[in-house]
Amino acid sequence: MAFLEIDNLSAFYGRAQSLHDVSFDVAQGEIVAVIGTNGAGKSTLMDSIIGMVKNTGAIRLEGADLVGRGSAEIVRMGVGYAPERAHLFPFMAIEDNLLVGGYTARDDIGRNLAHVHELFPVLKERATQETSTLSGGERQMVSVGRALMTSPRLLLVDEPTIGLSPKVCTEIAATLRRLNQEDGLTILITEQNINFAMSLATHVHVLETGHLRVSGTPEELMADDELNKAYFGT
Amino acid sequence: MIQILIQGLLLSGLYALIAIGFTLIFSVGRVLNLAYGVNLMLGGYAYFWVSQTLGMPKLVGVAAGAGIGILFGIAIHRLIVKPLKSDPVPVEIATLILAVVMQAGVVLIFGDASKILLPIVEGNWRVAGVSVTANRLAAALISWVILIGLYFFIRKTHVGRAISAVSMDVKGAALSGINPDRINTITWGLSGALGGLAGVFFASVTQLYAGMWVAPLIIAVAVVIVGGIGSIWGTLIVAHIIGFMEVITASFMPEIRGVVTMLLIIGVLVMMPKGLFGRGEL
Ligand SMILES: Nc1ncnc2c1ncn2[C@@H]1O[C@H](COP(=O)(O)OP(=O)(O)OP(=O)(O)O)[C@@H](O)[C@H]1O
Ligand SMILES: [Mg+2]
Repeated sequence: MAFLEIDNLSAFYGRAQSLHDVSFDVAQGEIVAVIGTNGAGKSTLMDSIIGMVKNTGAIRLEGADLVGRGSAEIVRMGVGYAPERAHLFPFMAIEDNLLVGGYTARDDIGRNLAHVHELFPVLKERATQETSTLSGGERQMVSVGRALMTSPRLLLVDEPTIGLSPKVCTEIAATLRRLNQEDGLTILITEQNINFAMSLATHVHVLETGHLRVSGTPEELMADDELNKAYFGT
Repeated sequence: MIQILIQGLLLSGLYALIAIGFTLIFSVGRVLNLAYGVNLMLGGYAYFWVSQTLGMPKLVGVAAGAGIGILFGIAIHRLIVKPLKSDPVPVEIATLILAVVMQAGVVLIFGDASKILLPIVEGNWRVAGVSVTANRLAAALISWVILIGLYFFIRKTHVGRAISAVSMDVKGAALSGINPDRINTITWGLSGALGGLAGVFFASVTQLYAGMWVAPLIIAVAVVIVGGIGSIWGTLIVAHIIGFMEVITASFMPEIRGVVTMLLIIGVLVMMPKGLFGRGEL
């Protein structure tokens, strides 16, 4: 049994279907990336895992099906989520944003907060600054930090590099790698930035208009001529 | 002069308490609960019935006022706001009609005549040479205590922070493990309790009658509109602007006392549609 099993997952917004029978596994301690262009269904996949979309099929976390459960319960079961556009609380201080993230894991707040501050020292220095005034990179840090405050065993990060400078992307990559290696955190990211995904993940899945097209290790995908043409233009 | 200052402060404290429950709902749900004044009316009548008709201790009466406010607040949320999916205009129409219906209900049970509430706290005090009833002073002080308590509740507790989180970003709140529906219920209950309490004090310094939901509603609407989306600080500041305006007009032109607040609402709406402090903070 894999740590996370996505099994014939379809997703619906009203009558429109955004995912079609998507299946893949994520093993414990792995970093897995889902890549795809705009509208491919990356955010829909993440929102499905956290229980915000109407689904058929199954999403199993250590065997327990998440489909049909509410987000609050899924968060309690150990899924942390840094979504597209962060969805921070704009008129709250950085520290309060992080504390809201600790809503469910109340006993771990002290430890989690110290860990987030250690990963992103700037969030400690600017603890009282409102998040509406932060840069894109800082926002992404608060978003990942808030997700870590839920004491996750699985971390979902939707397009962590979108709109960020190469330097900040490198920092984010280093942090995610560190979370994976030092804490053994299992991480699922989505990306349009294929180089970023390839450099970070052990398995990559390519999503196209709601269908899973190919899957493999970065090396396997690099060797796929057709894919290279489509995504790297080489 | 000192007379105006003291009367203004006392009135403004009470106005802030009246407005805060309404503001809370507006900032979390983005709807105007036009039945909010009914919470005050029910609070006042519950206090009257429990402490004066049944003769129970005053504290029980105050608790009854808060309790009926909680029930009424949660009922509005469940039976009107949720089925209407928080769509502002239908919610406003439905809650306004509900207020009129509730007024008729109160007339049916308690009659048309206004009731005199015995002061919750008896006696007179002299503050800086001005004589004020202990009841008015207590109403203002208790308002302040409640507002300060609410401020710390919102800022420093998990549930309080969750209320502001839901008011700022529902998706962000949900992926933090907060159940927005539960927080909404809590917020409506809290708003109802604040309205019920405000009603007990408001009735005890004015009058208890079935039409008493209108004046507090206008005050609350004015505070939200002038203050923009409701922060606790914005509410306090605007409650003072309105309170002092009323005290000043009352001492120079008593005939137009309540009218200035309404003119203020219209003036601000026309000139600054977003209000003076318009931002989505709590
Ligand atoms: N709330 C919604 N209601 C209706 N359709 C939606 C909704 N959200 C997404 N969709 C549709 O679902 C499809 C997948 O969208 P999704 O946001 O998951 O793509 P994405 O891969 O995350 O794209 P991007 O890279 O632009 O973020 C799109 O066709 C989109 O129009
Ligand atoms: Mg997306």
